[in-house]
Amino acid sequence: METDEVLVKRTLGGETDCYGVLAQRHADYLFGLGMRLTAGNRDFAEDISQQSFLRAYKYLKSFNTKKKFRQWLTGIAVNCYKDLSHKENRYLSLEATDEPSYTPDFGGNTGFYELIRPLTEEERTIFTLRYVYEYRIDEIAETVGLKSGTVKSRMSRALEKLR
Amino acid sequence: MNRLEAVIEKEKEVSYSQRDKDVFSSHLLILIHQEEESKRFHRKLWLGLFLGIGIMSFSFSAINEIVNDFAVGLSNVMAGDLTTVATLSYGLSFVLLTLLKKTDFIFN
Repeated sequence: METDEVLVKRTLGGETDCYGVLAQRHADYLFGLGMRLTAGNRDFAEDISQQSFLRAYKYLKSFNTKKKFRQWLTGIAVNCYKDLSHKENRYLSLEATDEPSYTPDFGGNTGFYELIRPLTEEERTIFTLRYVYEYRIDEIAETVGLKSGTVKSRMSRALEKLR
Repeated sequence: MNRLEAVIEKEKEVSYSQRDKDVFSSHLLILIHQEEESKRFHRKLWLGLFLGIGIMSFSFSAINEIVNDFAVGLSNVMAGDLTTVATLSYGLSFVLLTLLKKTDFIFN
């Protein structure tokens, strides 16, 4: 099996189909990340996943092959999550609903979705990356484009809210 | 805190699966191809516009030069011999009128 870095190089060399292999390989991961960040909104998660792959393809030349492709992809997905949250009101209206009958989309751990719902986008991202994906603080800082100190303070604030 | 940890531990065990991965990746590739085609088209369009404007400005300057030369020539002729100018004008008008009347001859 070819590594991500080889597939990236082949894609950049003109073999676009190799990107399909990369997409298949990381589709579940990105979808899962999307589901967690959006507290179980399947449509939103699928859009995040698709937009992330498209954006990643656009900026593939800027990918440093010495780094992990998945982590780079995570950064892109986090940005897509932020952008889509702000641009697309349909997602926000779904999330912000107070309807008692509203339940997040299928599957997943609804307890987790309920848990992270009071958090802001940034707090959700940091909390999820730290505690579910077990990223280190410096990795999160790099992924979300913040300083390590800021990540720590946001995480503390998130934990305060959840207690 | 225990409740928090329990929820997180439970969440870690959940595995998510993107629906129809084959369809998803094919759709992605189609979107990528469309995007690339669109970019290529726009690049060609801009290049065509750039070249078109270049050629047109070159042509206009050449036409302008010809018109200027013609005007200068005509004014020289006018300044020189009024009879020649009149003959030329009437001659040209006659030829044009004849051609207009014989459109069948020209177009068929």
